[in-house]
Amino acid sequence: MLYTTPTMALLEHAIDVSALRQSVYASNIANAAVEGYSRLDVTFDAALTQANLQTASSPASSNALPLETAAVVATGDIVKLDEEMAAMAKNALRYQVLLNAFERSLGSVRLAINEGRS
Amino acid sequence: MDLFGVFDISSAGMSVEQSRLAVAASNLANARTSTGVDGTPFQPLKAVVQTTSYASVEAGLAAESLPRPVVQSVVPTEAAPRLVYDPGHPDADEKGFVSMPAVDSLSTMMELISVSRGYEANLRAFDVTRHLLQSTIDMGKSR
Repeated sequence: MLYTTPTMALLEHAIDVSALRQSVYASNIANAAVEGYSRLDVTFDAALTQANLQTASSPASSNALPLETAAVVATGDIVKLDEEMAAMAKNALRYQVLLNAFERSLGSVRLAINEGRS
Repeated sequence: MDLFGVFDISSAGMSVEQSRLAVAASNLANARTSTGVDGTPFQPLKAVVQTTSYASVEAGLAAESLPRPVVQSVVPTEAAPRLVYDPGHPDADEKGFVSMPAVDSLSTMMELISVSRGYEANLRAFDVTRHLLQSTIDMGKSR
């Protein structure tokens, strides 16, 4: 897109992963009563850490991670409602933070469009 | 990523908890039903909850493919009726014992608490999703 900065692309991706997390936690909570259900989780942080290491060695590549790096996996654990609620609250906060950051980066584009007059 | 699909998952969870509540209420209400439809004492019921397959989750990220629970069937438990000595009861056998349903009121009350917490958690998940969507929709409104 014309006005998509790398930061915005990254934020967009992170918001996507956060939304995926929300749906995974909601699914865990909904399936808490199912016998033999294995708790699902999103593996993204590990991929992110690895990508950070790679970026540190070659700072020029600031490409966003492909969305496929966020995989939903079955952990094999049982669902604990309290842990699930805590994880969901944390993720909701993260989602809000990312949205705010995205809004701010939109604001800087807007500032440029308005020729510096805010 | 589609957050709208999450509403369906939480709804499925709430619907399952409602079925569990109905089963527990029926068990409690029939705790002294010594003569059921076929003449035998009432058998306590159990809701069998299953989840849709999540083998395909690894392949895609769509909320539609995440597992959601469903009450597959309500089956009678195998618990043997407990014998209560009550010679005056019309259902008493020749020794004066009446077969009463094996409803364990303690574990049924525990089930009720578990249903209540499960329903609340699903409702909360629903609310959080709604809140996140609302903030997404409101993005950019402040300027």
